[in-house]
Amino acid sequence: MSKSADTISAPASGMRSGTIGRLLHAREFRLAIALFVIGLLVTLREPRFLQASNLEQVALSATLVCIVAVGEALVIIARQVDLSVGAIVAMSAFVSASWLEANPNGPLVLVFLIGCGVGLAMGAGNALLVALFRIPAIVATLGTLAIYRGGVIVYAGGRQISATQLPDSYGHIAEIAFLGVPILVWLAIALTLVFGLIARFTQVGRNLYALGSNPEGARFAGIGEGRHIAFVFLNSGLLCGLVGVLWGARFGTVDAVIAPDLNLQAISAAVVGGVSIFGGSGSVYGAAIGAVIFAVLQNGVQLLGINQFWLQAVVGAAILVTVLFYSLFARRAEEAERMSRHQAKRR
Amino acid sequence: MTRLTALLARWETFLLLVLAAAVITGAESSHYFLTSSNLSIAIAGAMPISIVALPMTLVIITGEIDISVGSMIGLCATIIALSIEAGCSAPLAMAAGIAVGALAGLVNGAIVVFGALPSLVVTIGTLALYRGVAQILLKERGVSDFPDWYQAIGFGTVGSTPIPWSAVIFLLFFAGFAVYLHRTRYGRVLYAIGNNRTAARFSGVNVGCVLIGVFVASGIMCSVAAIVLTAYLASARSDTAIGLELPVITAVVLGGVNIFGGSGTLGGVLIALMVLAFVQNSLGLAGVTPEEQQIVTGAVLILTLVVFGGATKLRRTWRGLMQSWASE
Repeated sequence: MSKSADTISAPASGMRSGTIGRLLHAREFRLAIALFVIGLLVTLREPRFLQASNLEQVALSATLVCIVAVGEALVIIARQVDLSVGAIVAMSAFVSASWLEANPNGPLVLVFLIGCGVGLAMGAGNALLVALFRIPAIVATLGTLAIYRGGVIVYAGGRQISATQLPDSYGHIAEIAFLGVPILVWLAIALTLVFGLIARFTQVGRNLYALGSNPEGARFAGIGEGRHIAFVFLNSGLLCGLVGVLWGARFGTVDAVIAPDLNLQAISAAVVGGVSIFGGSGSVYGAAIGAVIFAVLQNGVQLLGINQFWLQAVVGAAILVTVLFYSLFARRAEEAERMSRHQAKRR
Repeated sequence: MTRLTALLARWETFLLLVLAAAVITGAESSHYFLTSSNLSIAIAGAMPISIVALPMTLVIITGEIDISVGSMIGLCATIIALSIEAGCSAPLAMAAGIAVGALAGLVNGAIVVFGALPSLVVTIGTLALYRGVAQILLKERGVSDFPDWYQAIGFGTVGSTPIPWSAVIFLLFFAGFAVYLHRTRYGRVLYAIGNNRTAARFSGVNVGCVLIGVFVASGIMCSVAAIVLTAYLASARSDTAIGLELPVITAVVLGGVNIFGGSGTLGGVLIALMVLAFVQNSLGLAGVTPEEQQIVTGAVLILTLVVFGGATKLRRTWRGLMQSWASE
């Protein structure tokens, strides 16, 4: 107990600053350990887990959620929430797939531009409602979730675009590998790192944390609230647009009802990754690891031959256990801080 | 005069205008709209959402949220189905469903209070957990051997009148919830908690106890909604009421309840429920599919908030202008 008190009060007093020591106590490191333990448990029961082809499947299923979760993490860090991500992905996927169906020889770059443009436009809708009209994000994106999802259903008109109607080059995007790892996975890693660095080291990134932990204080400090809120929603929309294009490439088939609970998946990944739902704390890396944890859990349930009906219960239990663990941890940290403050006063 | 302007500036008054507009456009677009049988169908279809909107209003007024309502309905429907499969009588099955609903709500409340955790996160977790348990228990089966009187709860009407039984159930609960929220001390406590939790605690309110109570109420009302919904659909499955949380929260927010807690009335929520039910019904009469109707639902939600927000801002500017003019 006293040991944990020591380590927790250390960053505040600046006494312990070894890089390794800090790394060992980072939340992301604990998450990585949790991920490793889950992987180990699955491997012990079913060694096939470690086969390259299986790991590739796990990585691929983690990537799309991971990219969305990275955008969602920034939104949540700024004390907002974006419930419309799944609908944006569906719209982007369908619009870009139907454009590609009509222009099979069109350049793929243009498909990406179209998908990202669709995502950006829908993100702009969210940004407008939250930043300009001051509607609480949870309500505004609840409304746009319905509008966007309904919009793609009307636009698609019950149609389904399958891989045979699309040029092969599109589906190949998901198959290209670099150093034996699919390029989609590299893309997710790169995006996670870029946004992690933006959040940690740029002014915009720090402002997001400031806004999330104390909006009023941030306003008094001269941080433009509207601009930053608009930024997180535009960014989330853009990333969802990108994921929409990749979705079609990865799964081949696109219809209007894909990604029905992507919003809950992305929020769960961020929360399990240690992003506080009240904003102001957590990291993009944690959210990415959270997405991977869920992918491993899903794969584990399939591999171990556990009935597919158990998956949702396992996911729910995982979310509850993690947040309860965090709450326990936060309470201990609070107590430790109080104790160290008490000791300092005595001295 | 000031009382009149205060009344006019209320959210509920504004919603009544929206409701009138919805009814007039409905009647304009189809002459079936105002027939008693159509209104009866529209109301019966909206009852499960309405029943859950009552406790959701209380939950949101205290500054919390319950995302797991759809899954709790699914879980209760599953329990009812299993009990009937096991040969229980329908009343016993209903009691089992209500007990499990109360238990599910208790779990939500206990985790939120004792874990000191945000309810948004906890109920996202239990959303997956309860639906998962329902799927484990009932798999892909559907149970529909309900007695006739049970099915009458869903779409039967009182005698020869066009009033659905489910609406009677809803109105009884609505009266109970409205009296509790607006006419008792306990109702004021909910607003106090939503406005300033620390102040409420220092005034001697057992905040944890009240919150658990509110979540248990949510669970129990979900089981009531499960009964009405399984009766309405004449079948109970583990995927009953998937995604129901979104229309419920939409109705409560449209009803003028502040999503951050502390303000809102059940009267507003009632009008909002009617607006949504009539808009959806008239769209249905016009041949718009339910999937396409959600565009209109979302647009109604956002437009109402934007317009009312704009109107409030205009009024403030106007008042400021008048005051500066008067002082000169």
